[in-house]
Formats: sequence, structure tokens, C-alpha cells
Amino acid sequence: MMSASRATVLWGLVAEHAAAAGRRVTIGDVCAVAVASARASGGWVAAASGRGPDFVLYVTDPVSEQLAELQLLLGEGPSHDVLAAAAPVLGADLGDKESARRWPAFTAEARSTGATAVFVFPLMIGAIRSGIIGLYRSSPGPLSSQQLGDCLLLADTATVLLLESLDGGTAAADGNGHGTRPGGQSPGLAVHRVEIDQATGMLTEQLGVTAAEAFARLRAYAYARDRRLADVAGDIVARRLRLDPDPGQVGL
Amino acid sequence: MDSELLSGTFVELADTMVAEFDIIDFLHMLTDRSVALLAASAAGVVLADPRGELRVAAASSDAAGMAELFQIQNDQGPCLDCFRTGHPVTAADLADPGTPWPRFAVAATQTGFRAVEAVPMRLRDQVIGALNLFRATPGAFEPADLRIAQALADVATIGLLQERSLRRSETMAEQLQAALNSRVVIEQAKGKLAERLGTGMDEAFRMLRDHARNSNQRLTDVARDFVDSTSADFPT
Repeated sequence: MMSASRATVLWGLVAEHAAAAGRRVTIGDVCAVAVASARASGGWVAAASGRGPDFVLYVTDPVSEQLAELQLLLGEGPSHDVLAAAAPVLGADLGDKESARRWPAFTAEARSTGATAVFVFPLMIGAIRSGIIGLYRSSPGPLSSQQLGDCLLLADTATVLLLESLDGGTAAADGNGHGTRPGGQSPGLAVHRVEIDQATGMLTEQLGVTAAEAFARLRAYAYARDRRLADVAGDIVARRLRLDPDPGQVGL
Repeated sequence: MDSELLSGTFVELADTMVAEFDIIDFLHMLTDRSVALLAASAAGVVLADPRGELRVAAASSDAAGMAELFQIQNDQGPCLDCFRTGHPVTAADLADPGTPWPRFAVAATQTGFRAVEAVPMRLRDQVIGALNLFRATPGAFEPADLRIAQALADVATIGLLQERSLRRSETMAEQLQAALNSRVVIEQAKGKLAERLGTGMDEAFRMLRDHARNSNQRLTDVARDFVDSTSADFPT
């Protein structure tokens, strides 16, 4: 299994994309790399805190913009479904009966833009929601398993970037990520540890905050001390470590 | 083999599939029953995430060291070999110095296990995961036990296909991600409840599951509502 290294490769591509534009990594860089990895025609990112997308953060092209706006306008589409089901929607062919049945209004409008396949991923960590990332193609066909894996890894990266930008109180319309992290380290979740989820839940109680804030505090604590997230989470789960409700303590 | 226990297990699993269905609750029940039926010490269902990682969807125990045992198998172990080959893989004695998985063997024996069996979860030509069975004593599993283990692994696969299939048709890839996210929600809820009540994770899980059953809700919904809730009460 090669998850950690693949995540690192993808993070390198995201960082390269940002460097080429001469700025810090933004959610737009992640979206652009997802489009390239999936051989998609374009993509979009929308913020979401509930069961539907709230507003559009980034689009790569006019068709993506139409697709993203359409779903906000119509109140239906794959972006809504991914948030409700907490699972991706892999719509390899908008011309099939299934798409027409699931999203009658969206499917018709989307096809008129020239999109024939849509792939939408929730930006979620368990109960924590930060948005969705969508991709479209102008020819039908499924994602390969490698493309699917890349999209899932990039969605993880986008989730964390969005949470960082929202948490820092610096949420910009372009979803700039201002969180601190050790140089070059991917903000993804490729190596999954159950202790991170359990510790996040424990911190909601210790700190009296939402799960999104608890996760941000856990990351901030680990990075401020240059420790691995999983190790800090392990200490919290083993009850060797408690975090102080005063956020000043962890340098947020 | 206790045939009453066996038939009872399959009746119970089938019952779960026609009620409000929660994949993680179902897989957890399956690991618990695997332990009882197959004289195992612990069991876990591991799923292959397209991100390139084997992830635990459900385990019969949260005992210290269990998570690590599954994590190590991303590099080496009977589960990884089972996933790669699509065939059952047996480790009859992990204390055997000739073991092909030295790191895994050390971690497993330290956790108290001497024998492991991994049976594949197959969907047509694709291996989507594996059922892992751990025993505290060395020795190969009986062929009759292995047949039951494979049947349980097959039922786990059917359970994944079942998830929300009545609502709309979805690909296995979508179902798998939904299951993995459900697990994360449940772990977050376990952490929150364990912290609130000062209990262990296993006890917190039992309370969440009992509440879901008593109120006829899906475990994942109960867990998500609890994580989202700002109320000081549980159940909320």
C-alpha cells in the first residue's frame, strides 16, 4: 500500500502549482491538480456546513461556475447528495436514466453546458463538514481506480485547507489556507488513525468546542510542538494529555 | 461447532439487513459473532480504501495494540497478503522465527495473539477487504471454521452492497467511502462520550449502539447527532 507516498506526490504537485503562480497554496491549487489528475475538463469547490453547499469558493472555468451555481440555485444535484450521504457521487454519464431520475432539473441544465460526467466528493472528516469538490468531463466515462484514489486524497487535502482557513478567522473567498504546518508536509489524512477521530471527539468535551474546532486545535497543538498528529492523539486517548480550553495556549 | 450459535448468528445478521440498516453496526456485530463462533480472541473487518490504505471498518475490541496491528498490515501481514492474493492467509504460529511478517508477528504476540487468519471479502473479481481473526493460542484454524469464516466475510461484503441500496443505485466505491466515513463519525462520538462519562471506548460504543437500537435509529445518525449536539445530555 502506497498511500503516504502518493499523498506526498500529490501535495508536491499542489505546492508546485501554487509556486508557479507565486503565492501560498490555496484551495484553487488543490482543485486544479484534481482536474489534471482526473483528466477532467474543469472543477469547482463550494463551502458547506450543513446538508447543502453554501457558496462557491473556486471554479476553474465558466462551465464549472455554471455547474456550481446551478446546484445552489436548484437546490438539487450531486453536491447536495454527497453531503447528505457522506459519500462521493461518481456520475460517469449524465445521459443515463439514473442521473435524470436523481436530479431531473440539474441533469438537463448541466448537459446543456456541455458537461457529460460529474464526480463530486464531500470535504468531510466524520461529522466535520467543510464543503465539496466537484469535477466535470465533457465526455462520459468512469474514473480509473488510480484517479479515484487521487481525487480522494486531494479531497482530504482540500478538507484540511478549508478547515484551517475557516478556523484561523481568515476565511477568504478564495479559501486561502493560513494554517501553520511543518515545511512541505501534506495536510492530508492519508495515513488514517482511529485515535485522531477519538481524540477529536474527546476534545469537543475538554474544550467545549465543535468537532471542526477540536480537530483544528489538535492539529495546532501537534504542529506547535513539532509532533506527529497521531502521537498527540494517542496521548489524548490514553488520557496522558489534556488540552487547555484557553486557545492562547496552543498559539492559534 | 455450535450449530445453534451458527444458525442464530445468520438469523440475526439477516434480521439486521431488513431493519434500519447501519453498515458499521452490522460489521461490528459480525466481528463479535465471528469471535464467538470461531473461538477467536478478536476479529476485525478491514476495507481497501482507494486512497491506497487498508482501513479497519469494525473490530471486536478497542484493546490497546489492536489499532496498531491493523495499521502495520499496510506494510506487512496476513491481511495485506490476503488482500493482494484474494486467498485466505494463515499464520498458525506467530512465534515461529520463520514468519514472513516479523514486524507484524512481534506486535501481534505483544498484544497477546499467537495465530491469525485472514479471509478475503470478494466482489466478483475484486477484493474489497478482509476479515481478520486472531487467536491467543497457536494452531491452524479447522477447515470447517475456515468455511464459516469465509461465509461471514461474504456476508460482510453483501452488507456493504446493502448499505442504502434501497434508496438509489450506487457503486461499491461510493458505498465504501460512506462506510469509512461512518466509522469516523462513530469514533468521534465514542471519544466525546468516553470523555464526558469517563469511560473506555468500548463502553462508549456499547452505549451509543444500545441507544441506537432502543430508539430504532441508525448508529451513524445517533453518532453524528451526538457529535453535532451542544447539549450536555446523552442521549440527546
